[in-house]
Amino acid sequence: MKLKELIDKFELKALTNIEDTHIKGVYLSDMLSDVMSRAESGSLWMTIQTHKNIVSVANLIDLSAIIITNGKNVPDGTIELANRFYVNILSSPLPTYELAIKLVEAGVK
Amino acid sequence: MQEEETHIIEIEKIKDSLQAQIITGNNIPNKFITGVYASDLMSDVLAYGKSGSILLTGLNSQQVAISAYMAEFKAIVLLRGKIPNDDIKKFAEGKNIIVLSTQADMYEACVKIANIKGEVPVIKEVEKPVSKAKNITEHSFKIDGQDFASAGMVSTQIKAILKSIGYDSKLIRRIAISTYEAEMNVVMHAKKADVVLKASDEMIKVSIKDEGKGIKNIELAMKEGYTTATEEQRALGFGAGMGLPNIKKNSDKLNIESEVNKGTLIKIYFFVR
Amino acid sequence: MQDESCKHLWKITNIKPCFIINEFCYKCKKNTTYFSLEERPPIERYQEGEHFWNTLGYDQSIRFDLQCKKCGKLVKMEELAGLMMCTGCEDNCKVYSLMKELEKERTWVYVAFGFLPFDETKQLDKEQISVLEDYFNQRRKSSTSKIKIVSGDLIENFSLCYGNIIKDVDMLSSKPPEN
Repeated sequence: MKLKELIDKFELKALTNIEDTHIKGVYLSDMLSDVMSRAESGSLWMTIQTHKNIVSVANLIDLSAIIITNGKNVPDGTIELANRFYVNILSSPLPTYELAIKLVEAGVK
Repeated sequence: MQEEETHIIEIEKIKDSLQAQIITGNNIPNKFITGVYASDLMSDVLAYGKSGSILLTGLNSQQVAISAYMAEFKAIVLLRGKIPNDDIKKFAEGKNIIVLSTQADMYEACVKIANIKGEVPVIKEVEKPVSKAKNITEHSFKIDGQDFASAGMVSTQIKAILKSIGYDSKLIRRIAISTYEAEMNVVMHAKKADVVLKASDEMIKVSIKDEGKGIKNIELAMKEGYTTATEEQRALGFGAGMGLPNIKKNSDKLNIESEVNKGTLIKIYFFVR
Repeated sequence: MQDESCKHLWKITNIKPCFIINEFCYKCKKNTTYFSLEERPPIERYQEGEHFWNTLGYDQSIRFDLQCKKCGKLVKMEELAGLMMCTGCEDNCKVYSLMKELEKERTWVYVAFGFLPFDETKQLDKEQISVLEDYFNQRRKSSTSKIKIVSGDLIENFSLCYGNIIKDVDMLSSKPPEN
């Protein structure tokens, strides 16, 4: 699935400029070390972490986007950094599990 | 507001679908959960997790078991093959929390749980009779700063005492979460603290008096995301949050007095309705 | 068998969860960092020769090695404390200059840090850094951008650096939710 399709389908809010890309898998974790060591490049990463360092991780392994769940506020510093490094950040009011099962139902893998 | 969804799933089915290993828990075939919460941040679990849920987490620490207990989770699934240490096992066993361990990662576990089909068991809600305390009971406890081995134990004891008296479970949950946040603050930032629990049929008061750095600006500390980390710690990426906003959110009244380089006295009040 | 002519294809291996501990000596004012594989972070104050170490803080992290999928060559990453993305905080910093230069071609600069104190601890050598860089570039599926990894030595004044290494901050604390 394409990122822009996903945004429309799941009513995600784009917090940064969006560069459309293909989503190749989903990774859920709130531990940055975990994402750095295990997530596949191109994955969609769902987390409740909003620290600037999520941009470092997403950029390092070239994730397709970060979705911040639980509708958490993302600090301006994180957004600015993400725009500079072309990292897509989206937001959903749903908790991680609720959003994850919607993705499963829609066949996002 | 989002419509709240409830998932009623037998734990046995979760165990099977995740090919999970049972670490603690007896009589699993008769147990079910009413929600799923996936997170590695325990502050989030305390703030948003719903009682009766199962927690999916990759974090393997005693704080996971304690947070699950405080937020009244029924079960924990440790992801990516993590096997809990004896502290977690002992704690979970004592509190009747089922602990499973699976090789699956968080998304895989969500996918598998979401795919569990079958009859939804009928839940019979058993209302526990609420017998309020007639007399005031008082208990005191001590917390040692930096004693991570016992972190969370005072709030665990407080929760057990309130449960045995028979307060409303939602009220107990709020008290447990507030006390836990306050206790973690002491463990992380103070030298030691004395805790006093006073409970009557009208009000429950928890006071925590610590010896430590104190809080320079209480108003600022009440703001979310505030951190007491020094410049030097921040430069190295070390920051530590304070749980005050979450305590405020969960309590009916909060009173903080603090003196820099001496300590802080936090009084948390809950009204019994 | 290790093959000198092998065009290595790296994979991550020996991933172990650990704590990265930061200690400070009140006597010499030095900072030290190290990994601990214990279940709980060691936080005792202790004396070690000239030093009186006190814990400043700790976070969860991981340690890992890299291994070639083809020839089996193992490159240990024991000296790696963490990777930091340059976010451009100090105009005169060499890393930032490099980043400004490479940013145009979408090559992102990451700094591989060894443990503190830098002058007393073995830092990563050139081979380790180049293997790290190869690994992350091989793992990235995108052809539009690249990763450049440099050594922490390039940062002349560490106290002016506001970047954070990638690790799990606040996993054990009860930091309040932000809304």
